[in-house]
Amino acid sequence: MRSKMKYFLTVAMIFVTLSTGCGRTKESNSVKVDVPTKPFGSTIVYDPAKEINDGKKITIELWEWGSDETFQKLIDGYTSIHPNVTIKLVSNPWDDYWTKLPLALQDKNGPVIFNIHNSYHENIINYCAPYEISVEDLEKDFNDIKPHVKDGKVYYIDFGIMTGSVYYNKAMWKAAGLADNDIPKTWDEFRNVAKKLTIKDGKHIVQAGINFNTEFYQTYLLGLNYQLGQNLFSENGKTATINTPAMKKVMNMLLDIYNVDGSGSKDFGTSGSESFGQGQSAMTLMWGHYKETLQNDYPDIDYGVFEIPSFDEKPYAYNRYNGESTFGINKNSSKEAQAVAQDVIKYFLANDEILKEFNLARCTFPTKKSLTDDSDILAHPAMSVLAEHIDRYIWPGPMPAVVEESLKIAGQDIMYNGSDIETALQKAENSINEELKSSDFTAVENLYKYAKQKK
Amino acid sequence: MLNKNHPLQSKSEVILRNIVVTAMIIYFIVFLIIPIGTAFVGSFHEWNPLSGTFRLLGLDNYRKIFTDNLFWKSLSNTIVFSFVVIIFRVGFGLAIALAIYSKMIKHKSFFRMLYYMPVVTPMVAVAYVWKFMYHPQIGTMNQIFGLNVNWLMNSKMALPAIMLMTIWKDFGYAVVMFMAGLYSLPKDAMEAADVDGASPWQKFRYITIPLLKPMILFVVITSIIAYIQAYVQVLILTEGGPGTSTFLSSYIIFDEAFVKYNFGFASAMSFIMFVVTAVLTWLSFRVTRSKG
Repeated sequence: MRSKMKYFLTVAMIFVTLSTGCGRTKESNSVKVDVPTKPFGSTIVYDPAKEINDGKKITIELWEWGSDETFQKLIDGYTSIHPNVTIKLVSNPWDDYWTKLPLALQDKNGPVIFNIHNSYHENIINYCAPYEISVEDLEKDFNDIKPHVKDGKVYYIDFGIMTGSVYYNKAMWKAAGLADNDIPKTWDEFRNVAKKLTIKDGKHIVQAGINFNTEFYQTYLLGLNYQLGQNLFSENGKTATINTPAMKKVMNMLLDIYNVDGSGSKDFGTSGSESFGQGQSAMTLMWGHYKETLQNDYPDIDYGVFEIPSFDEKPYAYNRYNGESTFGINKNSSKEAQAVAQDVIKYFLANDEILKEFNLARCTFPTKKSLTDDSDILAHPAMSVLAEHIDRYIWPGPMPAVVEESLKIAGQDIMYNGSDIETALQKAENSINEELKSSDFTAVENLYKYAKQKK
Repeated sequence: MLNKNHPLQSKSEVILRNIVVTAMIIYFIVFLIIPIGTAFVGSFHEWNPLSGTFRLLGLDNYRKIFTDNLFWKSLSNTIVFSFVVIIFRVGFGLAIALAIYSKMIKHKSFFRMLYYMPVVTPMVAVAYVWKFMYHPQIGTMNQIFGLNVNWLMNSKMALPAIMLMTIWKDFGYAVVMFMAGLYSLPKDAMEAADVDGASPWQKFRYITIPLLKPMILFVVITSIIAYIQAYVQVLILTEGGPGTSTFLSSYIIFDEAFVKYNFGFASAMSFIMFVVTAVLTWLSFRVTRSKG
């Protein structure tokens, strides 16, 4: 009998060991925080005096990837008001997160609060509980709420938006005899500046004026179409419109920058971001998160940032943007846990200081109206250049991965495999539309503030 | 479970045996039988386990495969990739095993270890190092050979570049396997050939190769199975690009499942690849047996 017991215990121990989760629970390095005692916020107001979970102890998990410190600040701030609440921060690697999270959300033991990236919208949205804050109140405090409304409810919103801007090497800029007033506003001016920044040794490029290798499908092909008044999706938002004169014009311009102007080369530097960081290229067009890359990987580069040039002075939209999302609430978790999660969301959305922290950490421009003129935000180089035309950026919606994937293949086929533009773009369009047939995605380009001005 | 008539069987041995056997059975059921069964059922569905989508499609996924040009392109890339890499893996492996085995070479263990080192190095690490070596401006490939080639973004060079890295990483496995085979060759056969005045080439052609045939077959078959599953090197070096030039069958399955979340379609592809692997393995047996 005892041997049987031993046997079963050993097998059980093996299984417990095997089935233990692999997420990294962050030990709390709590710092002393000022505990607010009075209500704060604009329309969405958080009242710290209101007791949560009737003052009874409760523990919930918050899942995220990266940015542990900002999340910990949020947790420390909240739990200082409500010491009966314990929030365990679980940090996951980005790649694992998107397979682990949806599976974890399928039962009640999954995380109660979780960080969202809208590119995984379709896999996540069915597990989210709607926010208890009304759409009207959210709209009073935040920009760009409408695209997130589903059947009159909101499951997450954007706390900040990110888009592409041009990063330039200040030393190279100066060495080429360029000054601050040479910052280009149009693509023609940009191409002239790029030529001046290019250095060659015979036929070989020593320093590229501009480098858009690798990332060009994300930063140019999916965005510059808007400058020409061309949406990525049809009126009903269900089919892609890729093989268009606007997209061809963008692709032709990219080819001309390399092949006609000679301001760079498809074979010079494996990627624009890397080549710029290594001091081989003078300019690159990158999204806001690039500031973090430069800070961490290439701290010696002295750089400036300017807004993306346009084909004419008043474009329909300067570029597309993507939002950094607020958190989701697990609809399968207990009612008590969901109530705490709703309260954490309210605390987050009412709290300008923590929202500012999150935006500065992720280099995103705040959607909260009270923060758009904030001096710290405007002191940030990647955000200050967006401030003037922030309402002239458009969000197509949470596009499925196939859109970027197909544009990447099309762009590489044109640039590296010698395909003609028309064929490659048509192939991408067909491929995207085939996938969209089985997708719930609907573009929200028609909700853009200036949608009626579309040419 | 205790066989009391068995003289060597102690109670603790029986407990240990039962634990190990039970663990193995459960392991195979949980990590092999259930996933394969689920994938087979899933291949007839529009299936995304992450969003909870599971809708019957019948044979649509299989029909789609037959009209999907990218799948067939990936399959043809896989056949070319596997064929070239296996030829070089076996060729280099055999040549170097023979060289180390010969009486002229001292420090045999050192060389065996040297050639085996890339095999035990993780593919991810090797691929990142080679990616750097293939850099068009600062990579050692261009600098050593005085070339100006964008190895990984040139549609003619990208697949050969991945093959070269794979051969370098994997041929050490063949070296060790062939050395084991060479050491197990019957000495009397070689001595008899010496007495008959056979040349080194004749000994190699008529004694070594026929006797090594089971080992060669083993290396070829395990290589076929391994290379049909190859995708890590593609993921790191080219992500299938430029365009779709370096898409391999396993990479397209990965892409469909974990980028586009079409698990049903990816499962159908996996089953087609399962059949292809079985056919190729069977063919290898047939070819080797018929030549024997």
